[in-house]
Amino acid sequence: MNKKSRTRLLVATGVIVVVFVIGVVFLVQRQGAYYRQVSDLAAGQYNGKNVKVGGKVLDGTITRDTSGVHFTIQDLTGQTSTVKVTYAGQMPNTFNGGVDVVVVGKYASGDQTITADQLQTKCPSKYKAQATTPPTATQ
Amino acid sequence: MLVLGKLSLTLALVFSLASVLFLALGMRWDRKDLIRNGYYAVYAFFLTTVVSSAVLLQAFLKKDFSFGYVTENSDASLSTFYRIAGFWAGQQGSFLLWLLLIAVVAVVIALRDLGKVQRLVGGAVMVLCSIGAVFTALMVLNAASNPFEKTVAGTQPFGLNPLLLHPAMVLHPPALFIGYVGLSVPFAFAVSALLLGDAGKTWVKLSQKWAVFGWLTLSLGIGLGAWWAYVVLSFGGYWGWDPVENTSLVPWLAATALLHSFTLYRTRGIFKHWALGLAAATFFFTILATWTTRTGLIQSVHAFEKNPLLVQILTGFLVVIAAVSAGLMAWRWRRFASHDEVESLLSRDFMYYVTNLLLTLFAVAVAFGTVVVPLAMNRTVGPSTYNAIAQPLGVVTLALIAVCPLLAWRKTEGATLLRLLIVPAVFAAVSVPLWLALGLGSSLRGMIGLVVCAFAAGAVVQFILRSARRAAGPDASLRSGLGRAFTGSRSRTAAYFVHFGMVLVVAGLIGSNVYKVEQSTILRVKPGATASVSGYTLTYKGMRNATGPQSSTRAIATFDVTHDGSSAGVLEPRTDVYPVAGAAVRAVILGGWKQDLFVVADEPFDKSSSTIALRMVVFPLIRFVWLGSILLCVGAAVSLWPKGRTQEQEAREPVAADGDADGGLRRASA
Repeated sequence: MNKKSRTRLLVATGVIVVVFVIGVVFLVQRQGAYYRQVSDLAAGQYNGKNVKVGGKVLDGTITRDTSGVHFTIQDLTGQTSTVKVTYAGQMPNTFNGGVDVVVVGKYASGDQTITADQLQTKCPSKYKAQATTPPTATQ
Repeated sequence: MLVLGKLSLTLALVFSLASVLFLALGMRWDRKDLIRNGYYAVYAFFLTTVVSSAVLLQAFLKKDFSFGYVTENSDASLSTFYRIAGFWAGQQGSFLLWLLLIAVVAVVIALRDLGKVQRLVGGAVMVLCSIGAVFTALMVLNAASNPFEKTVAGTQPFGLNPLLLHPAMVLHPPALFIGYVGLSVPFAFAVSALLLGDAGKTWVKLSQKWAVFGWLTLSLGIGLGAWWAYVVLSFGGYWGWDPVENTSLVPWLAATALLHSFTLYRTRGIFKHWALGLAAATFFFTILATWTTRTGLIQSVHAFEKNPLLVQILTGFLVVIAAVSAGLMAWRWRRFASHDEVESLLSRDFMYYVTNLLLTLFAVAVAFGTVVVPLAMNRTVGPSTYNAIAQPLGVVTLALIAVCPLLAWRKTEGATLLRLLIVPAVFAAVSVPLWLALGLGSSLRGMIGLVVCAFAAGAVVQFILRSARRAAGPDASLRSGLGRAFTGSRSRTAAYFVHFGMVLVVAGLIGSNVYKVEQSTILRVKPGATASVSGYTLTYKGMRNATGPQSSTRAIATFDVTHDGSSAGVLEPRTDVYPVAGAAVRAVILGGWKQDLFVVADEPFDKSSSTIALRMVVFPLIRFVWLGSILLCVGAAVSLWPKGRTQEQEAREPVAADGDADGGLRRASA
């Protein structure tokens, strides 16, 4: 391979890689949600930011209206802190009072609510973690 | 029986280490007798893994609940089919299945080489046995990963989660594991070739069919998982960019690039560094997938309890793979240099190069978002971020794979290329009114993607036509060459199918993502109540109860469906209530080639409900995803199909010097 074509190839590769890396970093910076516990939210520095938190859905807090489903989740690390969640998308099949869910969305510290655009319950696979919390978890 | 299982696992560790030792020494000193002894140790290793697997399998078949693992993953009421599936329903059993598959592959490669006893093959078997030793050690040393530990004796059998009672979910895990194990063969041969400094084509020839086979089963596994998520999981989609999905996509992307690098390595002797690096990267990513889903370090819908020893072993394994691959490649870098690389930017070589680069970058970006962002940056990215990366990249890559086969090696004249692009351009132009007629004109970026799909479909047609013209020769008619365009070269025929399958998959992905219409409504439970979404009207008829498997009860709501005024069928979304697992809503789908209507209740309902929260989603073109996936697998299967004698001769003729020839591969394993 001659020098000219090698240079051309390197330049082409460099341009593709640089454009791609900048794009990915930009997307992560702009859209990446902070992964936090429910108890971390109280401090208030996440107001208006995208957060991803896991929590246990408290029994009896689930309500539904035309704007979606509303419920309250409790910290999973042993704290008693809770946060309200509003979610308008598709409900996962296994959603119910008492299950552990992960929500991703914008946190507003004013009314202590996460407006979630993603909601996941734990997968129905029978791997160890589910097996040790016997199936009575969902009633 | 537990003791027998444990004992045979311990012996498997001993024999795998023994074979590694024999093969390493035999390879180092070039002693065929030592390599042969190594192969004998591989048989013993294989037999012990068969014994362990048989012990676990019979425990499932005989409902032997003295096995804690059987108690956790089965119960007496399950059918034989689902009791067998219990084998790989948990972490411990899936490690054992993986181990068994590695041993099978190692023993097949060793058996085929028993006549010749080549150093290169011995080295590859040594690498496979080392991988096997790691998996065995993982189970033997870490009680929580050992299926023969009596962990929860005395408790009631847990049974199988009702959502997993689906054939796709039974076949999905083994398909993934077979794919992962198939894709570890190129890595094994790459390490062996690097150790020996053998920069010839043999290692590629010997591992290429395994790579195709691994790619095929991995594609199948991913497709089955997506289909299951769509029809059973009822979340209103088939791909959620969850870590568990992402980490199976990453090795698939790397393997796709690997297969293309192999073609160039074998036929033109270039892209050697790419082939080595991608073989290593693909294997690294398969272990990363295990690491992600089984260590519990990444929060995912697949939850696993954290287990320090498991984390240490798998993390250590990843570090070793990366260090060994990087070290060996650095050591042998010059020897594997190819002197004749990309000459012109308008050449097939360069298109291959860019496709490889984009696939690799895509794989790295998904791995970065899935693993590095949560662990190192303590943040997380979701579907919108992955879609923003995947959509443009997918369309650009599709355009590249469309043009690539039409270009000549080394350099293509602009005028020639323009002539070759006439058919694809006509397809693209004709498709515009077609897409508009299907009602897909509402999104510009969607239209761009769909037009590129039509262009790529036209390119596949042009590719076939050109092969036919060449096969027919200058005098005969085009028609006479058409048959031979398909029978001439296996890998070229495979490329028609795979590329066309990919066109369909991308069209389906665009249709079902960009043009998805979603409508949720709270419907009063009263005959005659209606709900509608983009031309469909659902009229509530009534509700009835029924019984299902595992002594479940069902509440079934019946809806008459009309589409644009004419009757389209009946849909019966339902709620299943299982005595142990609780209530689950089940979606129903009214399928068609133009679009699917997907209907699911948003929360469980029964006869006492006064309202049903109904969600209706229209997924245009979604069937193209399934059809395209099948074509991908058909294409891969075509290239694996053994050749007849005449085809082998044809493949070696100059027609195939085009670069797609496959001659000489008959000795390849698989």
